[in-house]
Amino acid sequence: MADTKVKKSVAEINERIRRGDAVVVTAEELVEIVQDKGEVQAAKEVDVVTTGTFGAMCSSGAWLNFGHSDPPIKMQRTWINDVEAYTGVAAVDAYIGATQLSETRGFDYGGGHVIEDIIRGKEFVVRATAYGTDCYPRKEIEVTVTKDDINQAILCNPRNAYQRYAAATNSRDETIYTYMGTLLPNYGNVTYSGAGSLSPLHKDCNYETIGIGTRIFLGGTQGYIFWEGTQHAPTKAMGTIMTIGNLKEMDARFIRGATVEKYGTTLYVGLGIPIPIINERVAKTAGASDEQIKANLTDYGVPRRDRPILREVTYAELKSGEVEINGKEVQVSSLSSLKRAREIANILKKWIEDKRFFPTEPVERLSTTQVFRPMKQVAAVPLVRDVMTREVVTAKPDDSIVSAAKTFSEGKFDHLPIVDVSGKLVGIVTSWDIAVAVGTGKKKLSEILTHDVVTVTDDEAVDAVARKLDRNEISGAPVLDAKGGLKGILTSDDLSKLLGRREK
Amino acid sequence: MTRKVLIRYSPQRSTDPIIASVIKETGLLLNILYAEFDAHGGEILIAIDAPDDEVDYVIELLKKKGVEVKEIKRAIQLDRDSCFDCGACLSLCPTHALHQTDDKTVELDENKCIYCELCVPACPVRALKLSKF
Repeated sequence: MADTKVKKSVAEINERIRRGDAVVVTAEELVEIVQDKGEVQAAKEVDVVTTGTFGAMCSSGAWLNFGHSDPPIKMQRTWINDVEAYTGVAAVDAYIGATQLSETRGFDYGGGHVIEDIIRGKEFVVRATAYGTDCYPRKEIEVTVTKDDINQAILCNPRNAYQRYAAATNSRDETIYTYMGTLLPNYGNVTYSGAGSLSPLHKDCNYETIGIGTRIFLGGTQGYIFWEGTQHAPTKAMGTIMTIGNLKEMDARFIRGATVEKYGTTLYVGLGIPIPIINERVAKTAGASDEQIKANLTDYGVPRRDRPILREVTYAELKSGEVEINGKEVQVSSLSSLKRAREIANILKKWIEDKRFFPTEPVERLSTTQVFRPMKQVAAVPLVRDVMTREVVTAKPDDSIVSAAKTFSEGKFDHLPIVDVSGKLVGIVTSWDIAVAVGTGKKKLSEILTHDVVTVTDDEAVDAVARKLDRNEISGAPVLDAKGGLKGILTSDDLSKLLGRREK
Repeated sequence: MTRKVLIRYSPQRSTDPIIASVIKETGLLLNILYAEFDAHGGEILIAIDAPDDEVDYVIELLKKKGVEVKEIKRAIQLDRDSCFDCGACLSLCPTHALHQTDDKTVELDENKCIYCELCVPACPVRALKLSKF
């Protein structure tokens, strides 16, 4: 890296902290200082910048060690408050993951809630089964304990504190429930996550000061970064970290179990990183404003790995509460708490000023070139166009019910799309509709057709379409092109054939 | 003070200009927050910003005109102890009843709430609850 005008070591900065004359500011405060005085002057004046974020971090969990019972057990499967924990390690170690759901309470309670309850000092029920060995003869156990009764409770999160994240919206004509929250139809709202100008990793996006061994604020106590996070992708400004800290010392104000509607449970993690301002390059990244930090406004209505990006939005736009999509102002929801992120940055600032917390130099630097690759799949998921029926029989609204009944009897299908003279889909009639219409005195298809047709496009993945059929309790959907023209039909028969083919 | 009244219409009453006539007779501004009708009748939620005795009079008048009237007292509650001010609820609120103050604290303006309840399940920590009334 290029030489810098200002050079300060972490040791020098810590010496100033010890003397009580270090200048510590929050990242939001630094934004103004850099704008007023430039990064070189800011690097001379400021010693440490504190950051903070408080958001849903699904890749979180805790290691617990329960101690040995008498006679002892080698836990093979373990549940904590009916939420399964992973015990494929030694006898009485278990990892409770934030997203594991309760087997009795579903989405209302999961691993994230267990972790919060442990911090709060609540009693929890540990239940385990085992196959029994000569050294561990016991086959089952159930005990009620608190955090004081167990040996270790260590928060250990494989992926935390995404540098920034996508902003989400939904092009579909139905509400969808995603890990980005509830997304209203037809770009009805936007959700996002991340603290923007307070975001810990974005403030040192060259990873000059944040690395392995970095001491951080984690859940209200001191914790550490111990590796790059899974899916760490610094070249795309999507860096992540693995974090670790003593769960027993944490504060439930900064670690909360949560439920994302119709998606699952998660853990809100409060995390803050101090950034020692060792040179003006770090001052510049730490001084980045909400206007300079961008997120991709992404269409979550397309359930594919590579979702379409509508455009880039800045965190300033997102934080304003409204974002423009197609000329319309759309309301925005933050899923992470900016207010609590600020609280964390301020607590960290106070800790450093009070000489209770000293920034560290990384033991090893994190990768700045690592990329996040997609899964290597043996077979691609088939698309609608691969399995749909292309030769589709249609009828006109003015056609008679009797003629439609004849059409059904001659063909091997149950869905009759109704099109207008230009070939545009106006409705659908099923063989069941015909059966019901018999004897009602109705004559024309226009009297019985369903106008509100669930349709699909030929580039949708069949898995997503199968969910759509299931959710709408239907057995088929017309396939349309971008202009609304009928290209074919996809039925549960087509999906069954696909499965038959797979099993061969 | 603003009070809110839910009016239920039977199919027979659905086409009567009931609210219009109450507005005309009392001269009060009845603000329609929400209305929904189908073959089985319908309901309209109105907000009345007037002294208590005048609101009471409106309620009596509505009853006389043959609709079912129910005053709505505090329906959605925001549990400040549980809420951590993320704002997941904000973009789902059609009337900006849920909003953030300058310091990003989430607040509920009950006067604007139309009880659509979209916010209730969307809260990650169940801080929004529907209270019985």
